[in-house]
Amino acid sequence: MKDTLHLMAVYTRTTAKAWFQYRIDAVLRSLAVFLREATGIIVIWLTLMKFDTLNGWDIYEMFFLFSLLFLTYGIMIIFFTGLRDFGRTVRDGSFDRFILRPRGLLFQIVFANSDWFAAIGHGGLGLVLFLISAGKVGIKWDMFSVVYYIFTILGGVLIQGAVFLLLAALNIYLLQTDSLKAMIYWNMRKFAGYPISIFNKVIQIIMIYVMPFAFVNYFPAQYLLRKSDMAAYPKVYMYLTPIIGILMYLAAYLFWRFSIRFYKSSGN
Amino acid sequence: MSILSTLLQFFIFYEIYRVLYHGAEQVDGITLKAVTTNFVLSLGLGAVFSPNDYFLPGKISDGSISTELLRPISFKGRMIAENVGNSLFDLIFKFMPVLAVALLTTGMSAPAGATELLLFVISAILGFGVLFSISFAIQMTSFWLINVWSITTIKNVFINVLSGSMIPLWFMPEGIRKVLDFTPFASIYFTPVQIYLGQLSFRETAEKCIIQIVWIVVIYAVGNVLWKKGQQKLVVQGG
Amino acid sequence: MSFIEVKNIKKTYHVSKRRSGIPGMIANLFVPKYEKREAVKDISFSIEKGEMVGFIGPNGAGKSTTIKMLSGILYPDSGEIICSGAVPYKQRKNYVGRIGVVFGQKSQLQWDLPVKDSFELLKAIYRIPDDTYRKNLDRFTEMLDMSGFIDQPVRQLSLGQRMRSDIAAALLHSPEIVFFDEPTIGVDVLGKEAIRSFIRELNAEDNVTMIFTTHDMQDIEKTCNRVIIIDEGSKVYDGTLMGVREKYGSSRKLEVEFMTDTVTEPIEGVETVDTDPRHKSFIFGKEIHINDIMAELLQKYSVRDINITESDIESIIRKIYSKEETV
Repeated sequence: MKDTLHLMAVYTRTTAKAWFQYRIDAVLRSLAVFLREATGIIVIWLTLMKFDTLNGWDIYEMFFLFSLLFLTYGIMIIFFTGLRDFGRTVRDGSFDRFILRPRGLLFQIVFANSDWFAAIGHGGLGLVLFLISAGKVGIKWDMFSVVYYIFTILGGVLIQGAVFLLLAALNIYLLQTDSLKAMIYWNMRKFAGYPISIFNKVIQIIMIYVMPFAFVNYFPAQYLLRKSDMAAYPKVYMYLTPIIGILMYLAAYLFWRFSIRFYKSSGN
Repeated sequence: MSILSTLLQFFIFYEIYRVLYHGAEQVDGITLKAVTTNFVLSLGLGAVFSPNDYFLPGKISDGSISTELLRPISFKGRMIAENVGNSLFDLIFKFMPVLAVALLTTGMSAPAGATELLLFVISAILGFGVLFSISFAIQMTSFWLINVWSITTIKNVFINVLSGSMIPLWFMPEGIRKVLDFTPFASIYFTPVQIYLGQLSFRETAEKCIIQIVWIVVIYAVGNVLWKKGQQKLVVQGG
Repeated sequence: MSFIEVKNIKKTYHVSKRRSGIPGMIANLFVPKYEKREAVKDISFSIEKGEMVGFIGPNGAGKSTTIKMLSGILYPDSGEIICSGAVPYKQRKNYVGRIGVVFGQKSQLQWDLPVKDSFELLKAIYRIPDDTYRKNLDRFTEMLDMSGFIDQPVRQLSLGQRMRSDIAAALLHSPEIVFFDEPTIGVDVLGKEAIRSFIRELNAEDNVTMIFTTHDMQDIEKTCNRVIIIDEGSKVYDGTLMGVREKYGSSRKLEVEFMTDTVTEPIEGVETVDTDPRHKSFIFGKEIHINDIMAELLQKYSVRDINITESDIESIIRKIYSKEETV
């Protein structure tokens, strides 16, 4: 255990040090990611200056909704950069190298690589949005809501991590899942910042049952904000985020364990 | 952006405005149909007008720039030719599908008239010129910067927010609109869209098109100065 | 039982045939189409502790696949591998802690960081005790002459320097077996020599077992006492380098220059090649004694000069690959 923690520390020190080699570039890159991700939010902010609310959600509530999406991604990517880029890891032979080292494979994938630009860009944006909105959306931050919030973040991290893990495992069979990832993760994520109630049924079903972004931010935000559009969904959905996160991650992990035996080195 | 992501982006904005309008006939004199038209045209053109922001930076970072410059063909000429070629390709394979899907699912306005359609095409081409010259000028910074990914990304954020492709400029807060008049961003998509919808008088159309041309000339000239300086720097360093 | 025992291993790849586009992608997911390719057909060999063995063969012959099975990256479809008491692909963590692998084409060093930082990371990964680490680092730094660049970022190193660092990186944890996959590729002549002498020294001092794949026959000649030639997934030769010459390179060539233009009568069992009227070559196998031919030629014709050549190892190997008759 102590030995594992030590290795985690050395890995983190190494990736952070590499990231810090180009100081100005690192700051600029993180800023660029921050702004790129903020584009949609700036747009909705400007739009709501004109229209006040979107299906009953005012701008601070929208900020809060977005903040859950960005905070969970920012945390998730610190650990799961290696899974996001798993296709490349396999293609360029880095995965062979992981096999040749006397440590757990998933452990190495998780700790050997962290995209700090994305982590700071997304996570920073999430944090800023949270700080702006948390005091203005009428949430009573008592013991219970804080605990609920922490579990929600954890669940959101696990849901998205599970999708990355699942796609990485599929990569072992397909060698190329980038377009699949774009289709089910990145494209659906475009919808995720907004209250899902504004979209048509097909999108809603996908967001709830297929690529459950709704559980990353919409339903947890509903628990804390209680907007009227929640009436269209079962109340219990507001409590499911951590459970869904754990179940999805577990399922993805088992699938990964099963799949890894079929790994074929890409050869030359 | 791929066709699918352009379509999804369009679809999201369409849904948002459908909800925002909430059955209202018009907001500030703008109908939902006009908003839809704005999104179809500007996102559609955006999919077509995607200058290759890494044409020069790519050649500088892999070092091939010095041999490229020795070729008897004008480098800048190639830059333009390649972008125009790609845009023509995208016009057919990206804009047309977006247009077709938009027409089938949402309904957008027809052009205000044949003259307007013709002027729209001209203005859209000029809009592409503005977009290209911005990309051209930003690419020139790669002579000095190690990595232009950040600055390029930030440039695109400005274009996305301020050109009207994500928020129709009619609904931009008054203060920002005033500042926007002094920037090239509205010239990219919003001017062609306004012409298409017949919102501009003939005089206004002429004025806006001249502004487009002025922006192309000014920004391209700035880029050209950087281009000259950059080449000198390349020579001093021995490539 | 030998230190490394390989018995009848086979490996067939199922190369998936991909369909394109989104419908194709979905189809690939549910009904994958495969093509079979036998990379390793049936290979057996054993290697003793401390041996230096070179695996050679043309691209796609199966040597990479064999090495990958030996190092635990791939499972064989059938057959058995036992290396140093472990089955590589089953006892992965236990086994890979005791081996080192150098891929000439793919560095394991952190690109943007000084060489030493990568070493520190490996120390943590392999749980190398402080004193072993210290001792190995000092020793390799000296032997590989790394003191000049060990604090420089890897991206600034020459290929030779990088390769030396990579070799040291693979050896820091004092492995029992080291695999070298093209360890000198792209390195200049002096750099190659430094790497080879380091390898020889390490083998002599620590009795480390070493397995090579390379295209550079000089690597093999200067380091290995044994070669295994693999072609089309099968072992075609296993023995000393000298033995290769004996087995395949047995034919010799006699180049003769005559005083005047000469027409020679055919000699039994010898192939005659006319270069021009005064120059001829005579090619023959080991069943013919060279003295007999010389005697005949000197007796019948007036000879100015005679030159005997034996084919060199490089061309013999090339000929084995291309299945031509050896010269």
